[in-house]
Amino acid sequence: MTKTGKGWLQLIWVIFLAGGLSVTASAQDISVEIDLSETKIFSGEQVRLELSISGTSMGSVTQPELPEIDGLRWLRGNTQRGTQYSLINGKPSVTYTFGYVLIAQDPGNYRVPAFDVSVDGTTYRTQALSFEVLDPATIDRGEADRSPDIYVRIEPSTKNPVVGEQVIADVVLYFKRGVEVSSYQPTPGWKAEGFWKEELEYPQRAQTSSSIINGVRYQRARLLQYALFPTKSGELTLSPFEITVAVRKQRSSRDPFGFGLGQERMNLQTIPVTINVDSPPPVDDANFIGAVGDFTITREVSVTEALVGESIEVTTTVRGRGNVPLVNKPEYEYPESLEQYSPEESSNISRTGSRISGTRTFKDVLIARNEGTFTIPAARLAFYDPSGDEYQIVELEELAIDVERDPNAEAITHNNLRLNVEPVTGLTAWHNAGSRPLYQKFWVWVFIVLPLLITAGVYGYKVYANRMETDVAFARSRTAADKAETTLKQADEASDIKEGYYLIEKALVQYITDKLNLPPAGLSHQQVIEEVKSHGDEGIAIELKRLLDKCETIAYAPNATQKTLDSDIQKTRDLIKKIGKLI
Amino acid sequence: MSMKKKSLTLTLLILFLATAGQLFARQAPQAMFDEANNLLEEGELNAAMAQYRSIVESGAVSGGLYLNMGITAVQLDSMGLAKYYFMKAQEFEATYEEAATALEYVDSQFSRQSAMLPKLPWDRAVDWIIEVPQTSGLFLLGFFITLSGLVMVYLKWFNKLNFSKLPAVVATLLVTGSAIALLSFYADYVDQRYDEAVFTHSSSRVYESPDPETALVSIAYEGYELTIDQFLSEERENWYYIRLGNGQYGWIPQEGVKVL
Repeated sequence: MTKTGKGWLQLIWVIFLAGGLSVTASAQDISVEIDLSETKIFSGEQVRLELSISGTSMGSVTQPELPEIDGLRWLRGNTQRGTQYSLINGKPSVTYTFGYVLIAQDPGNYRVPAFDVSVDGTTYRTQALSFEVLDPATIDRGEADRSPDIYVRIEPSTKNPVVGEQVIADVVLYFKRGVEVSSYQPTPGWKAEGFWKEELEYPQRAQTSSSIINGVRYQRARLLQYALFPTKSGELTLSPFEITVAVRKQRSSRDPFGFGLGQERMNLQTIPVTINVDSPPPVDDANFIGAVGDFTITREVSVTEALVGESIEVTTTVRGRGNVPLVNKPEYEYPESLEQYSPEESSNISRTGSRISGTRTFKDVLIARNEGTFTIPAARLAFYDPSGDEYQIVELEELAIDVERDPNAEAITHNNLRLNVEPVTGLTAWHNAGSRPLYQKFWVWVFIVLPLLITAGVYGYKVYANRMETDVAFARSRTAADKAETTLKQADEASDIKEGYYLIEKALVQYITDKLNLPPAGLSHQQVIEEVKSHGDEGIAIELKRLLDKCETIAYAPNATQKTLDSDIQKTRDLIKKIGKLI
Repeated sequence: MSMKKKSLTLTLLILFLATAGQLFARQAPQAMFDEANNLLEEGELNAAMAQYRSIVESGAVSGGLYLNMGITAVQLDSMGLAKYYFMKAQEFEATYEEAATALEYVDSQFSRQSAMLPKLPWDRAVDWIIEVPQTSGLFLLGFFITLSGLVMVYLKWFNKLNFSKLPAVVATLLVTGSAIALLSFYADYVDQRYDEAVFTHSSSRVYESPDPETALVSIAYEGYELTIDQFLSEERENWYYIRLGNGQYGWIPQEGVKVL
């Protein structure tokens, strides 16, 4: 029995100790670490950054956001999450793992910066990690084992074209034996800034060939082909081209049935490619129309005989292989009498084969305003032939057009050629030039502010009138002065001295009771004086008492005269003003 | 002389001086105009044009003045300038018809014609506001409609006006009046920002940016009608940001561009 009792005590002690320890550790034993699956990564290759949060006691952890990492771009749709429970030295532990898939960008040495992770309201900081992004084209033999399984490149046909010269850019996928590419999907929106771009028509199924790059055998598949035409000279860069490929790696010997080896989708992108574009050399004695390639140029006129006012079309056709849509309109010197209207331009291009070809047509619309024979002079147009590195000059013969006057239209034409307006003479109505904008006109601001002021004033009056009708105390207070003054005017006109003093007393008592909303009758003089005194001015109370006492005792005053009455009326008026200010 | 008589004399003197001043102010451009017309009749074209210009510089303008300037420019064989003056003359009711006839003639003389896109209905409506009621007139209309709504509110407050639809009528008047007043400010903004102009030199290139090294957008020829964005043009000295009649936008050097 004794033994059993000790065992229970020990168990309770252990549970208590374990509980206490777990509470202590929960705030201290959390560790946050990051790890890269590779620290030497090839440009365009995917890499996995793993963030592990471990601890003995944690609440749920939300997925932390990654900071901007130079050299890597986070593929947000591919983040993975896992939770692992374990017992370490008898202590339960939980590890939350977040896997971020990133794609390597430009070659160079970079660092994953340390960043903050919040767990249960406490912030923890990860360590920083260094990594290197390598250019797959520079794999040396020592790193052959580390060469990527799959990558994509843009391969231009030349890196030193002239402005307007066609550059064929192949989008090529390289992948090792054992990697099966089941499909690919280019990401739309690739921009080749500084180039006019046309996608060449290409068979749907990419043909593969084998090639060895720095000692590593790759399968090479041309996925897409673009015709690029530089539109300006200088150093131009082809931005990264992105594709998504679905790949399936060869089955492992340990997994003979292929369980778990499904398709994997990978995002790949090319590294930027720099193209140095030169300007074509200057050309003398000819008009260079911006055409680069192999062309034939012709010019023809729609009619050689026309009537005055009839339209004549001069059509120039540039046909051949090269930068067809970029060819400029040739400018001709037309005779003054041929009125020129907006020209028409059209293009018709073909993308089949490896060269862009087609026709570009320019149509000048002319109208003869006078009769006669007009000659459109001969012209020398030039296009640049990059294969021979020289200009080709095309001679266009002069064109002659006979224009005759239409007898039916003669009257109208003559009318058009004369200004039938006479000068104005004599008196004319004069105006001042110029006008100011609305916001600079003073009256406009007055008209904007005026309704606001009027509305405020009318509203204030409305509130006042309503209160005068509903609030008796307010109404008595507001009308007290007027009523007192009316009574005092009656006192002024009173013929009897006693009546005058009676009216003074009435005015004073009425004013004070109205202002203080006291009962209009039944108050003694002393009570009225006390009310005024309660507002804090002893002097006014004394003056009020003197006047009220005089009013009360006037019947016994032997020497009361009209002059003293007038004086007291004036004093009453002054006193009322003072009381008004006081209360 | 009594004080009353002195005051009356002084008032009459002030009235006389003011009337005489106004008459003189009106007669000054008229006299210059008559003089310029005589020069035009005598074939002294350059002198006549100089005299007309000095009237414009004095701040007085009229439809007749611009019409005669246009006729003088035609005789000087400066068609772009003639178009500019005839378009100015068209702004005055008295010379609208003659200016339209003259413009038809001048336009027929240009060897290059610009395609003209029709204006959008909203732009035409704003143009109508600027020309017919004018922005001040529209603002006043909006003000009085708003004020009438407010007066109804005041009358309601004092129980002088009451009918079942009163709140709806007041709300309609206030909203309509305010909207019209705001519209006048918008039209005024458009009027200040955009100006019509005529190109009067033989030709000028229109660039993508205010820099002759940038891409060429188009070429403006004599007589082309342009719309200038004055706000954007303030960004670069000696350049205008313009819209051509065919809808293209670009920057053009200020030389030869006459703003209406």
